[in-house]
Amino acid sequence: MSTDYSLNLNSFFRLLARYVSPKVIGILILLILIVGYLAITEPDKFLLGANIQNLLRRTALFGILGIGVAFVIITSGIDLSIGSIVGLCGVLLALFLTVNYAAVDQADVIALKGRQSQVYVQPTAAFKPGDLIRYDRGRRAEDAILTVKSVKESEFETKKKGALPATLVTFDKKLLADDTYGRIAKTYKVLSFKNTPDQTSKATLVIQGAHNNLAPKDRVELNNEDGLKDIRIISASVDGDKTTLKLDEELGDDFNDKWMAVPIKRKQRMTILSAVGWVALIALALGIIHGLLVTKVNLQPFVVTLCGLLFYRGISRWLVDDQPQGFGSEFDETLRPLATGKFVLTTNPDGTSALAIPYPFFILLGVAILAAIFLNKTVYGRYIQALGRNEEAARYSGINTKRVTIVAYVICTLLGALGGILFALESNSISPSEQGNFFELYAIAAAVLGGCSLRGGEGGIFGVVIGTALMQTLNNLINLKGISDTLEFAIIGAVILIGVIADELLRRIVAKRRAVAQANADAIIIEKPPERPENPPE
Amino acid sequence: MTTDATQNLLEVRNVTKRFPGVIALKDINLSLQKGEVLALIGENGAGKSTLMKILAGVQEPDDGQILLDNKPVKVDSCKKATDLGIALIHQELNLADNLDVGANIYLGREPRILGLINKSKIYRDAQQYLDMVGLDIKPDTLVHTLPIGQQQMIEIAKALSQNARVLIMDEPTSSLSNKETEALFQVVKSLRSRGVSIIYISHRLGEVKELADRVTVFRDGQNAGDLAREQINHDAMVRLMVGRDISQFYSRQPHTPGKTIFQVKNLVTSTWPAHPLNFSVKAGQIVGVAGLVGAGRTEMLQTVFGVDAPVSGQILVDGKPTSFASPLDAINAGIALVPEDRKQAGLVLQMTVRQNIGLPGLRRNKTALLFRNQSREDADTIDMIDKLNIKTPHPDQIVQFLSGGNQQKVVLGKWLALQPKILLLDEPTRGIDVGAKQEIYQLMETLAAQGVAILFVSSEMEEILGMSDTTLVMHEGRIAGQLNRDQLSEEAVMFLATGQANAA
Repeated sequence: MSTDYSLNLNSFFRLLARYVSPKVIGILILLILIVGYLAITEPDKFLLGANIQNLLRRTALFGILGIGVAFVIITSGIDLSIGSIVGLCGVLLALFLTVNYAAVDQADVIALKGRQSQVYVQPTAAFKPGDLIRYDRGRRAEDAILTVKSVKESEFETKKKGALPATLVTFDKKLLADDTYGRIAKTYKVLSFKNTPDQTSKATLVIQGAHNNLAPKDRVELNNEDGLKDIRIISASVDGDKTTLKLDEELGDDFNDKWMAVPIKRKQRMTILSAVGWVALIALALGIIHGLLVTKVNLQPFVVTLCGLLFYRGISRWLVDDQPQGFGSEFDETLRPLATGKFVLTTNPDGTSALAIPYPFFILLGVAILAAIFLNKTVYGRYIQALGRNEEAARYSGINTKRVTIVAYVICTLLGALGGILFALESNSISPSEQGNFFELYAIAAAVLGGCSLRGGEGGIFGVVIGTALMQTLNNLINLKGISDTLEFAIIGAVILIGVIADELLRRIVAKRRAVAQANADAIIIEKPPERPENPPE
Repeated sequence: MTTDATQNLLEVRNVTKRFPGVIALKDINLSLQKGEVLALIGENGAGKSTLMKILAGVQEPDDGQILLDNKPVKVDSCKKATDLGIALIHQELNLADNLDVGANIYLGREPRILGLINKSKIYRDAQQYLDMVGLDIKPDTLVHTLPIGQQQMIEIAKALSQNARVLIMDEPTSSLSNKETEALFQVVKSLRSRGVSIIYISHRLGEVKELADRVTVFRDGQNAGDLAREQINHDAMVRLMVGRDISQFYSRQPHTPGKTIFQVKNLVTSTWPAHPLNFSVKAGQIVGVAGLVGAGRTEMLQTVFGVDAPVSGQILVDGKPTSFASPLDAINAGIALVPEDRKQAGLVLQMTVRQNIGLPGLRRNKTALLFRNQSREDADTIDMIDKLNIKTPHPDQIVQFLSGGNQQKVVLGKWLALQPKILLLDEPTRGIDVGAKQEIYQLMETLAAQGVAILFVSSEMEEILGMSDTTLVMHEGRIAGQLNRDQLSEEAVMFLATGQANAA
């Protein structure tokens, strides 16, 4: 009946169980076994830099979702809406970061006046007599360039809406029937050009006019009767009545000073910071709504988030008319590396990276460390665990259980949004009906595999990360071993089932050990009733 | 009825049961005659539950014999126990409360016609057993619509329907009202007269005195002694249970209370909106709240503590009006509540002693950025284990595995670590053994001496009589009367509690 807790096997077991549950140790061993198996049997494919990178990246992205849902699961709730949150946040991010290019001075043609050289345009454009005008991406004939003769504020009679204000522009040439619709834009003469690259640019172009509003990332459209070029501007400098543009591409051999230039302005709907901020804010609001519905309206978490799953998916599809969204190459140097970038450790002789850690993995590490600290070291973390086990006792202990539950749902949707942003940036093609489908189940499965119990109160962050890694490695195994990917779900399902069964068996062993330890403890008490057991060393 | 040993219906001979590292039962002997009510008493951990599990076939003894009708039997499964006519009525009821009464009585052995359940036979047969236990309900009543006392009767009816000859009742009255308890006693007595033998386990010595034909006392896994009918009295039972005389079981010392620090004015609870409550507690005073179960005592405490919202009224702490929208507000005002249901409301059973003791103080003790103050939690835990004499092998023991008395001390510990000015206790000694009870009484005494105002609800008359300076007696949501120490008597309390003062 020793009280030497520091040395006996029980205390070692207890110590281990205190920090990492036996289940996590179990799946960690399984993960190591599968990784080892793949490394030995498929070294060429598995150990390939790209494969490892991909594995880490997917683990990171799904891991973030898993950590989020783990918080809700620990409160004995569930969040089925994560997949749709991922889809919605991807769509919203793409919407918020929509980039439009438009000529600096342009107007829509709404009608020809008779068969004359006059057109009605809207909105009121800043055209002046003498300006050169061309139809935007329209005619390329030699007479495509028009000169403005006069500009007059006028009204245009419509059959349905009556008179509408419009500008009547008169040109020097007679217009064609094709010119009834379209867009006209001011165009400028090319004064000179240099088709030689320097340190920063590939070519230099000088055009007429003082274009003070041109900035890097804006573009210039160049036309002649045969061709059209659309080149990104690296820098613009105004000198009197001419503007020098440094360009991102060579002008080509066919270019000459007969070409005309239309400066194009780039318009981004929001700055990156406010786009991400808005997505986070919306996710925050959704999390609060989930939490309020669960705590104040007393609805079941399953039902609330099932409705969320359907609702957000529908909204995502409706917002963009079910059209796939993307970022093109607009944010390749700014935002996208967050998801696609990597930290290169070693390089191959041919210059490609042999071993690299994708940036999302660092994001996962950051999220996991913060989440683990929050769960294990803060007051709120302990509250989440306590109310997951016994909400009533938590309430009687002076815990605002409703607020704590809401916090868990907010963490879940916020991490869902972070995951959604990263998934969107990574894929760069967001199908509103597909993006994030079933991701909630991956996240929940990883959390359960990692030691969370749907009964609540149980689970840790490390386990969730390992659970995610195991699922992604399995996925990798299916690909590398050439197993039909139609079997993917079946295999993952089977592994989770085996994991849960193994957990239950382990749980019984632990319970038995505990009973033995308890009996020993009772024996101490029973044998020496007047005395208390010594306090074990801490 | 003869006391000849050969007439024993059930006999336990020299049963020993060892668990790893501990001997739970050592050479236990027990005999039960036909039509006898044998009370089995002892402190928690004395081995009563282990023996009951052995008799019910849940566990097997390592040594010794069980004889039924003087023939050795092997009770190696629950089914075997049922077949032999031994039925255990659990402390926690095992009914499917979404099904009706008849379905529960015949659960698992439904009479059938052509493979389908023969409902009419179930109802017909069930009625007969319901009559036997004096239940005036139809067998097609849904169980969840019945009060807890009647549900327990259904458990008994179920046992009878299995031709039980030995009924083991483990703390059957722990969740019953006085009226239900009375009804249960009637049933026990009528079963006895039908020749059913009953082993009655209880901490309530008053019940034992009323019901038992004989008392067997266990202590530390061994026989501590038997008492024949005429020897059964409170002191004798306590002496055998704890192995020593408790001359000063209740140790309330004479003292002078301080000024009023807690006052409730016209408080209206949502359960009893017609009756505003008024009372006050002075520093260092122990106020008992007596009354029958369902008199509104628990509701009053819960409203005061902010668990339930009050309809109207005022609560004054140190003369300052406060309002409690949640337990957190009450805690911040210096109030603590040890709730009636410690497993549900008092503790997070699957958490450790340390985590439970730390729980209410987490917010108050937090360091920067909401970080938990681990060292403070550790210190409080060690302090409380020490002060309250909590018997736990180490601070990280899961509280589920502690005895009832020690669990209750953990509940007390989590509140005392906050040093409350006002301590509300709801049935503080329910279901815990005599030794722990006495420790809790002493603790109340010590706290009162330190100036804590204590308000405690109790259904045990002796506790009320022994511990309270002033007693509030509640009847159907009202405070029917207030008794000072010199007016306090069992008769006076019952007079008020049963509403006779009102009728008069």
